[in-house]
Amino acid sequence: MIADEPTLARLMAASQGGDKQAYTVLLSEVQLWLERYFRRRSAPAMLDDLVQDVMLAVHNKRATWDSSRPFLPWLAAIARYRWIDHLRKVYRSEEDALEDHDAPEDSEEEAVLARLSLERMFGNIPDKQSEAIELVKIEGLSIREAAERTGQSESAVKVNIHRGLKKLAALVEKAD
Amino acid sequence: MTPETGRRAPNPLIDQLAEDLAPVRTLKLRNGLALVTLALVATVLAVEFIKGLWMVGITGDASPFFYIGTGLLLVLGAAAATSVVTMASPRVGNRNEGPKWALAMAMVLPGAALLTLLGKGPSVAALGHTPGLHCLESGVASSLLVAGALVLWLRRGAPVSPNTAGLLVGIASTALGSAAYGLSCQLDSMIHIGIWHAAPVAVGAVVGRFALPPLIRW
Repeated sequence: MIADEPTLARLMAASQGGDKQAYTVLLSEVQLWLERYFRRRSAPAMLDDLVQDVMLAVHNKRATWDSSRPFLPWLAAIARYRWIDHLRKVYRSEEDALEDHDAPEDSEEEAVLARLSLERMFGNIPDKQSEAIELVKIEGLSIREAAERTGQSESAVKVNIHRGLKKLAALVEKAD
Repeated sequence: MTPETGRRAPNPLIDQLAEDLAPVRTLKLRNGLALVTLALVATVLAVEFIKGLWMVGITGDASPFFYIGTGLLLVLGAAAATSVVTMASPRVGNRNEGPKWALAMAMVLPGAALLTLLGKGPSVAALGHTPGLHCLESGVASSLLVAGALVLWLRRGAPVSPNTAGLLVGIASTALGSAAYGLSCQLDSMIHIGIWHAAPVAVGAVVGRFALPPLIRW
């Protein structure tokens, strides 16, 4: 169970003031939250890199969190932004397809996570685009393999990835 | 510390980041808006120094279009600048819808000016007249200080939609810059203000959307 929103906000406020102990606890919680957040939308081999990258971004941009606002929507915006950057960079991974890591359904946290989730972003782009991104950028198939799997031409897969990533980038701050 | 944390190997990055931690001054909306206001005031002072403000307009004796046009540009600039300042502190749930409506509202005057111009037929040639082009160039030039202030603010922040942020910087800075330069312009007809004082915003939007994102991406 990851710390709740008020606890994370309190830890972040203390961290902005320079409290190293609070910051260590916060980053540990952030790491857990991010691992769960990215689990189903990132190749396992990329997960650690992505989490570390977001933690660095949190560190470098910690002055941009406004303590009068909730912490998790801020963290999720940064996580989504770095995730899209990672998708742009990833071309092929040797990993197998993702396993289905169903998060346990519990509490209010799940509702918050669902609202901020990456699935919501995929739900806002056309199926062909999300499918192409998922196969090539997340599962690590080649363009040709993805084309065979989906029945699209190779150039259509490329175009769908390009357009899909562009649309995802515009959806980073949108919740629905 | 959660039970899950207890099971895993400690992440050396966490210790390193905690070691590097120093207190930070958080980005506040009011500070961002104050920076933009300062840049706008400096622009108006520069216009007064270089060109001189048009006192007829300042004292309330210009045509209504002078005040409507300048007012619409100011509202558009304020809405877009506020969104830009907000975008430096990201969060899922930010919608930034304000500038869209302000832009739609500000388009009424150029729309009316174009309709009037088209209705007059042969005078379409007036579009190419020198004073209009001068207002276009000067409006764009007058946007530089505000644009610089907004880009600086975004670079301190963490904008997660650089394309939208760039577009809004272009709109905000040229709307405010054109309004500031407009205070020195003695041509107060609807056609002149509706077209030539609004045109810098179109230029700013294009430049902002395509040239600024690389400056604010992080």
